[in-house]
Amino acid sequence: MLRAKQISFQYPQEGHGLPPVSLDVAPGRLTLVTGPSGCGKSTLARCLMGLIPHLYNGEISGEVWLNGCCTTDVPMWQLAEKAGMVFQNPAAQMLAPTVEDEIIFGLENLGLPRDEIKSRLETALQDFNLTHMRNRNPQTLSGGEQQRLALASILARQPEALILDEPLSMLDTTAATDLIAYLERFVADGKSLVMFEHRHEYLDDLPEVDHIALGENKKEFDFQQHATSLPIQPNFNLNIESLHVQLGKSEVIQNLNLSLTSGQIVAIVGRNGVGKTTLLRSLAGLQKYSGDVKVITSDGEQRPNFGMVFQNPDLQLFNASVRDELLYRIPNPDMPYFNWLISALGLERYENTPPLLLSEGEKKRVTLGLALMRRPAHGLLLDEPSLGQDIIHKTILIRLLRTLADSGQLVMMTTHDLNLASHADRLILLGPEGRIIADGLTESVLRDSSAWQKTGITLPAWFLRQREAEAAK
Amino acid sequence: MRINRGGRSRQISLVEDSPLRSADPRTKLFLSLAISLVVMTSIDRLLFFLGVYLLFLIWTHLLAPTAQHIWRLKWLLIFLFAFDWWLISLDHAILICIRLIILTGVFALFFSTTNTRELGLALEKLRVPYRYAFSLSLAFQSLGLLDDEWRAIREAQSSRGALPDSSSFWKFATNVGDLISLTVPAIVLTTKRAWAITEASYARGFDSPHRVSYHTLEFSRLDFLLLAGTSLFLILLFWRW
Repeated sequence: MLRAKQISFQYPQEGHGLPPVSLDVAPGRLTLVTGPSGCGKSTLARCLMGLIPHLYNGEISGEVWLNGCCTTDVPMWQLAEKAGMVFQNPAAQMLAPTVEDEIIFGLENLGLPRDEIKSRLETALQDFNLTHMRNRNPQTLSGGEQQRLALASILARQPEALILDEPLSMLDTTAATDLIAYLERFVADGKSLVMFEHRHEYLDDLPEVDHIALGENKKEFDFQQHATSLPIQPNFNLNIESLHVQLGKSEVIQNLNLSLTSGQIVAIVGRNGVGKTTLLRSLAGLQKYSGDVKVITSDGEQRPNFGMVFQNPDLQLFNASVRDELLYRIPNPDMPYFNWLISALGLERYENTPPLLLSEGEKKRVTLGLALMRRPAHGLLLDEPSLGQDIIHKTILIRLLRTLADSGQLVMMTTHDLNLASHADRLILLGPEGRIIADGLTESVLRDSSAWQKTGITLPAWFLRQREAEAAK
Repeated sequence: MRINRGGRSRQISLVEDSPLRSADPRTKLFLSLAISLVVMTSIDRLLFFLGVYLLFLIWTHLLAPTAQHIWRLKWLLIFLFAFDWWLISLDHAILICIRLIILTGVFALFFSTTNTRELGLALEKLRVPYRYAFSLSLAFQSLGLLDDEWRAIREAQSSRGALPDSSSFWKFATNVGDLISLTVPAIVLTTKRAWAITEASYARGFDSPHRVSYHTLEFSRLDFLLLAGTSLFLILLFWRW
C-alpha cells in the first residue's frame, strides 16, 4: 500500500517544486499520473520513493506511507526494500559492468544468502529474456533492453510497490508494449504500481487504471497568433545514393538509396539501433560515409546544408540567457526573424532566462531555435524531437515544422512516437543496416501491415483504434 | 570506397582470452605497482625490462590494446622527447619516453583484464570501505562514457558553429574563453549522470548495512605464480643487477 497525504515539496530554487497532492495506491492497483512538463511529476515520484527528503534539500510537508512506514522516519535502504523505482533514462541508471552484475547489485544489498541471490538472478534473467546477454555491458544494450534490465534488477528485489518515472519515453513501440505486459503481470500479482507518463495511450488497454492529472491545464499555445508565413524557397531534391556508414566493425547503413523532395515533413521510424540517428548525422555532415548525398536545385548541384536538432538538449546549452543562446556566433543576425522565431517557439517570456533552468520541453525548443537561427539552406533534421514532451510542446513542434515545410524546407525527423509520425507527409520504415522497408505517403505506409511486421514493430491497439476513429470522423 | 572508421566508443573492452583475465585483481594490482616501481630504475635496466615486458604482453595477448593506448599519446611522447632532448640530453629524453610508455601499458594491462566489479571487490578485500570502493569502480566505469559524451558535445556544438577555433595554436590560445561551449555542457551532463547513478543506487538499497557480496575472490595457482615471479624479478632487478 502506497499512500501520500497532502505531500508537497519546495526545492531551494524559487518556483520549483510540487504543490500539495494526495494519492492512495492499493495492492493490485495501477495509478497513472499525468501532467504537463514541469508540473512536479518527477518530484512526486521521488517523494513516493523516499529519495525526497533523503537525498534532496528542500522544504517538505505532508506524509508518504509505504507499507506502514513513513518515508521521513526510516532510512532509505528500508524504503528500497518495500518499493522500487525505475527512472526515465535507462542508460543513466546502469551501475554494473555486466547485465548479471546489474541484477546482483540490488540483491546483495538485501543481504540474501548466495543461493537465494543465484536463484532470483536466474529467474529475473529468464523472465525478462536477458539470459543470452547476461555477460554483456549494459551500456551496449539498446534502450528497450536497458529498460527491461532496469525493471528486472528492481523486480528481482521483490518490492511491494513500484514507481516508474516516464519509463516509456525512450522506448520504441514494441519495447514499450513489452514493458506494459511486464507491468500488467506485476499488478496482477497484487502489487502497487504508480506510473508517471506522457505516453499514457499504452495503458488504454489495461483494466482499471486510476488516473491523477497534476498541474493546471495550461492554455494551449496560440500558434496562429504568432505564426507568420516564411518566404517561400525554391524547390530542390535531396538525392542519397549508395550510402554506406561504418561505425567500428559494424556497417550501420548499407547501400541506402533515397530521393526526397523539399517542402515536406519526412518521418523515419524503426527499432532502436537500425541507424536512424546515423542517417541524420550523415546528412548533417557530422558522420563520414561513402556514397553520394547531394541537393539538386534548378541552379545545379549543392552540398546539403541542414540544421540538426539533437535528442539531448543539454549537449548544446551554455549561455546566460535564451537570447544569448540563440544569437551566439550568428553574424549579422536577422532580428525580425529572431523575434518571429522566439515567438513561434513560445519562448518570449524566457528571453532573459538561463536556458539550463528551463523544463526539458522548453530546452528542446531552444535547441530547435539554435538550428533555425543559422538559417540552414535546405531544412532541418530532428532526432527524436518529441522525447519527453507533453502534448502542448508537441503541438508547438508540429505546427512549427509544418510552417517550415510550407516555406519549401525539407524536414526530416526520426521518431518512436507514432502520433508524431502520423503528422508527417512521408513515412519511411527503416530496418536493420539502414534497409528501407517501406517508403511512401504516411497514410499508405501506416496501412501496410506487412511492412510494419518486417520492421519488427507492432502497431499498438490504441493507435489502430485512434486511426479508426479518425477515419470514421 | 570511403568508409568511416571513426565514431567508435572508446570504452576499454576486456581482452577475454588473456591469461590475466582469470587472475585475481589483487595480483594484477600488485603486478601494476611492481611495474610502476621499475620505471624508477636506470636506463640500462629499463631497456632490459622493456624487452621482458614486451614478451609478457605477447604472452598475455595485451600487445594490441597496449599499443592502442600508447598510440593515443603519440603527440605527447613526441613533444616530451623533443623537449627533453633539446633541454637536457638524448638519454634523458629516451628515459622519460620509455617511462611514459611503460606506465601507459600498466593502465592497459589492468583495465583490459579487469572489470570494474572486480576492481571494487579487490579494493574491498584491501580494506577500502565499500562506499569508496564502489564509488571508485563507478568512476572508472564512467571514463569511457565521459569520452563518448565529450565527442557528442563537440559534434552538437560543431553543428551550430560553436566550436572553439582550433585551426591554429595562436587562434585557439586567444579564444580560449570559447571553450565554455564545451565545458558547460560537459559539467551539466556529468553532474546529471552522477546524480542519476546516486538515485538509482539508493533506490536499490545501496546504503543497506546488511549487504553481502555475491562474488568472492580467491587466489589460484596462476596468482601465486605471478606473485612469486614478479617478486623474484623485482629482487633480481634491484638487488642483483
